[in-house]
Amino acid sequence: MNDMRIVERTVDTHDVKIDAKDVNVHYGTSHALKGVSVAIPDKTVTAFIGPSGCGKSTFLRCLNRMNDTIASCRVDGLIALDGEDIYDRRVDPVQLRAKVGMVFQKPNPFPKSIYDNVSYGPKIHGLTRNKAELDEIVESCLKKAALWNEVKDRLHSPGTGLSGGQQQRLCIARAIATSPEVLLMDEPCSALDPIATAQVEELIDELRSSFSVVIVTHSMQQAARVSQRTAFFHLGNLVEYGETGQIFTSPQDPRTESYISGRIG
Amino acid sequence: MTDISANGAAPQVRSSILVQDVKMRRRNAAETRFKSYGLIAIAISLAILALMLFTIFRDGISSFRQAQLTFPVELSAGILDPNGARNPADLAKVTTVGYGRVLDVALLKALADKGIALDDPKQATALISKAAPAQLRNIVLANPAQIGRTIEVEVLALGRVDGYFKGRVTRETAERDPQIKPVQLDLIDKMRGAGLVALHFNWNFIFGTDASEQRPEAAGLGIALIGSAYMMLLVVVLSLPIGVAASIYLEEFAPKNRWTDLIEVNISNLAEVPSIVFGILGLAIFINFAQFPMSSSLVGALVLTLMTLPTIIIATRASLRAVPPSIRDAALGVGASKMQTVFHHVLPLAMPGILTGTILGLATALGETAPLLLIGMVAFVTNYSATPLDPATALPVQVYSWASRADPAFIERSNGAIIVLLAFLVVMNVVAILLRRRFETRW
Amino acid sequence: MSVLLLLAVMAAIGAAGYIFCRGRVMAQVGGNPRELHSLPGYYGWNGAIMATLPALAVMVVWLIAQPLILESRVVSHLPEATAAEPAARKLAMADIRRVASGLDLAVAGGAIPAQDVATISPGEVRARLGTVGVALGSDVTPETLAAAITWRDQARSGLIGRSVVVILVALAGLAYALMATKPDFRARNRVEKVVLGGLIAASTVAILTTVGIVASMLSESFEFFGMYPWTEFFFGVTWSPNFSGGSTFGFLPLLWGTLYITLVAMLVAVPLGLFAAIYLAEYASPRARSVIKPLIEVIAGIPTVVFGIFALITVGPFLRDWLAQPLGLGNSGSSVMTAGIVIGILNIPYISSLSDDIINAVPQSLRDGSFGLGATKSETVRQVVLPAALPGIVGAGLMATSRAIGETMIVVMGAGAAAKLSLNPFEAMTTMTVKIVGQLTGDTDFGSPETLVAFALGMTLFVITLCLNILALYVVRKYREQYE
Repeated sequence: MNDMRIVERTVDTHDVKIDAKDVNVHYGTSHALKGVSVAIPDKTVTAFIGPSGCGKSTFLRCLNRMNDTIASCRVDGLIALDGEDIYDRRVDPVQLRAKVGMVFQKPNPFPKSIYDNVSYGPKIHGLTRNKAELDEIVESCLKKAALWNEVKDRLHSPGTGLSGGQQQRLCIARAIATSPEVLLMDEPCSALDPIATAQVEELIDELRSSFSVVIVTHSMQQAARVSQRTAFFHLGNLVEYGETGQIFTSPQDPRTESYISGRIG
Repeated sequence: MTDISANGAAPQVRSSILVQDVKMRRRNAAETRFKSYGLIAIAISLAILALMLFTIFRDGISSFRQAQLTFPVELSAGILDPNGARNPADLAKVTTVGYGRVLDVALLKALADKGIALDDPKQATALISKAAPAQLRNIVLANPAQIGRTIEVEVLALGRVDGYFKGRVTRETAERDPQIKPVQLDLIDKMRGAGLVALHFNWNFIFGTDASEQRPEAAGLGIALIGSAYMMLLVVVLSLPIGVAASIYLEEFAPKNRWTDLIEVNISNLAEVPSIVFGILGLAIFINFAQFPMSSSLVGALVLTLMTLPTIIIATRASLRAVPPSIRDAALGVGASKMQTVFHHVLPLAMPGILTGTILGLATALGETAPLLLIGMVAFVTNYSATPLDPATALPVQVYSWASRADPAFIERSNGAIIVLLAFLVVMNVVAILLRRRFETRW
Repeated sequence: MSVLLLLAVMAAIGAAGYIFCRGRVMAQVGGNPRELHSLPGYYGWNGAIMATLPALAVMVVWLIAQPLILESRVVSHLPEATAAEPAARKLAMADIRRVASGLDLAVAGGAIPAQDVATISPGEVRARLGTVGVALGSDVTPETLAAAITWRDQARSGLIGRSVVVILVALAGLAYALMATKPDFRARNRVEKVVLGGLIAASTVAILTTVGIVASMLSESFEFFGMYPWTEFFFGVTWSPNFSGGSTFGFLPLLWGTLYITLVAMLVAVPLGLFAAIYLAEYASPRARSVIKPLIEVIAGIPTVVFGIFALITVGPFLRDWLAQPLGLGNSGSSVMTAGIVIGILNIPYISSLSDDIINAVPQSLRDGSFGLGATKSETVRQVVLPAALPGIVGAGLMATSRAIGETMIVVMGAGAAAKLSLNPFEAMTTMTVKIVGQLTGDTDFGSPETLVAFALGMTLFVITLCLNILALYVVRKYREQYE
């Protein structure tokens, strides 16, 4: 299985989706991210790993400017999406986020019906012309998120009534309904039980065919299972970035090796 | 199929994030509009507040200055002390009518001295306030040795004179006014030139008693201040201990059961009961049933206490809850009883919060009007109340009762009374804020 | 002995109790407090409490019981017809009390020599009392005078009895405490138990207040409905009280006026308050928020009578001159619009601070979810935050409605006094609270329906606002549980 991935990887690497160069992030006076440079390829799953507080989530939130909602946060450096600087003055973060969707650590369905949750994005972005198209999007996204069979009979019951794993898949369905180009996932399985985790991981693997997926995870096993490329963060620095197989089998940096073997973290 | 659906309904053309498309521009316009609704709402609210305060100060600030006549008065012994014995009992028998005549004569003489000619002496003497003879009488009774001498006195002018100085009375209104004629306005101008009449600071407005409908110039806030002061004092004395005791029980000792639940629901409901209902309660229980004296500050204080209690209890419980449990554990750990823990450690730490809540509760009580109307504190009282059992009024009630009188001069006084009331409220709130700042959580 | 003097004596005995008990227990252990169960002060406090508390209780009971007992004694002086009819009996009793206290005043003021009181003739009582400032409405009947004299005599002996009994009880309590004072006596536990009792008593004041409100209004309302049929009250469309009799008390015009004014107030307060809250919670920078929020709350701190003046002098004439008259809708400064708009302004800070709290309670994760999908702030607020906060906002609206319904001073000064069923918002109308004030201000006669109707109105007002508040509390509590 690993072999197959390696083949794919060599095909995709030339197509860079997001290119970050020398990104620094400050929260007030604390320096949370120090000179990070990463090139994230298209149609790949990229995992960010590292101990708590290492800056991996912070970096993820820079990629769709979710950090803008925090007043004390300051970002400098260059992050380009398809060659366009996302921190350019002309960029509307709202428009950016439509292209770079996000799934959060804790499932956060809106207190609305399942249908309204999924149709929310298409509605606000005006992606559909009529109800039939909207129905179609909702159905296909729920199918993509492997949730359709479980909820098709109760599309109009509240999304908050689903189980944790179902809620997280609903959030994924909601995120892909706006047809983003990149999907950011911030520890999407940390609040889920093992069975739900397996379902979501399977889903992530399928999403790879349509999107560039960036996933932050605590679990090295998860990174190894779902990703093709892995970046290891430590104390705000990007320590090592490369093919997943290589990072886990022959890490170049001693810190990566100690983390993978469980000595730090 | 899956490929299409994954990319949404319409296959998308790759668009740059650097250019806003039409849809985005429309959405951003909606965003700006929505944000501006909020700003407009805030602007309207604050503008109305500013307008209200502005009109009150514009109409009320002048009540602190009052037109006064200043002229030499010969205290003729023949009228004021016919027996010549300077016996206080005899002096007290001379009515204000006699003093009125003394004033009339003196004013006419002063006018003649200044060379101001008159068609009709009544035109001049009518400018002296009906309250002036009583003022003069008080001056004389305070110091009978002055009788027989000529002294310089300062007495109130008629309310219309005051109105003329403040622009309320003009030649047009005087045409239709039975109390004053345009000729008299000319006379006032001359008297002003001669220094006989001018606006002076009006202590009587703050400390004087209320006056009847016909003499707005003499009306003062004294009794209302006393009534409000008695009530505030009694409300603190009653509501602070009861409120704190109730809160301590509910927060520190009460078991969680139906009864305490009932008390809690009760307290939060009482905080929302319309104030007039408390007035009905006061009338039925304290006046009709318990036979406490009508219009007294005592009954007013009892009613306001019941109204303030929920506020104090809610504030006190919040500040007791804010004391960390570690402090209770520490005290209990050295062998203090529960009661000692609460009174020695928890309560002192919660005190700033309790006091802040109490002051804010008092500020609300000070401005409360409706319940006081029902227990008769709107009555016309002319004697300073010596004890809380005597009839009195209150500051906000005085505002209301002046506002409902016909003479526009009372509207000025009503606004003036509001300024005094607001001054007290500002002081109380500032003290509360300072207390809160000074003692903000130390743990 | 007056109540105040008696209280002073009790305080003195209590102080003595503290000193004696503390001194006694210290003497018993030879000045070594380590041998005591509790700190010496607690023994002292125990003495003080035992000396004063029972005596205080006896005095309170006596104060309540004496008038009741006296009433039952003097009732025999009254004609049977009067004694049997509750309302007439109440009036007669009030007369007797007034004459009796007048006699006391007259004796104190020297208008009637003390020994002549028993023999005074009914004809001259009124004139004599007039000289000491006690004005009686009519001449005193012989029965009333006799009853008043009996009342006065018995009250005087009651007074002496009260002083003696109270002081004896205080001394007995002191003696008991002294005997109980021994080194192993658990004084602290006893004192703490009494303090706890005091705390419990304080917490029941809230209950007693509610009981007092309900009891006073229920009893008077029942009396009213005994004189006036409730169907005509609740369904009548004419309100015209007449103190000389023949009144009609139709409640509907008052209810209509109340609801109409409340509606206008809510139309002003809800949009302004809600948009202000949204701006403060979602858009304002922390600095702007810390300035604007207190400024808006200043509105809530201003007494309602000030708003009343504002309605009377500024808003009313403005609406009349610029809207009502040009549109030909009326020429009254007092109107539903005037009162409604000003009440609405008063309620803005109330709605805005409640909504602000509620909007802040909506979890940030929901906002993040929406932003992450590329929603703008206003889209997030309208489609995610507000629907999530809706129950809480409805609760806030209900509370504000209940406040508007119960508001008094603004309507008294700005709405007018005419009870009308009209749709024109520029016409003067009136509310329940205005009529309560109208019927209960000035001389009140608890026997006439014109006065008692105010209690029926008060009861109705209380029930309406109570229901709204309970509903609002329930809705808000449910809302908070959802996100906790």
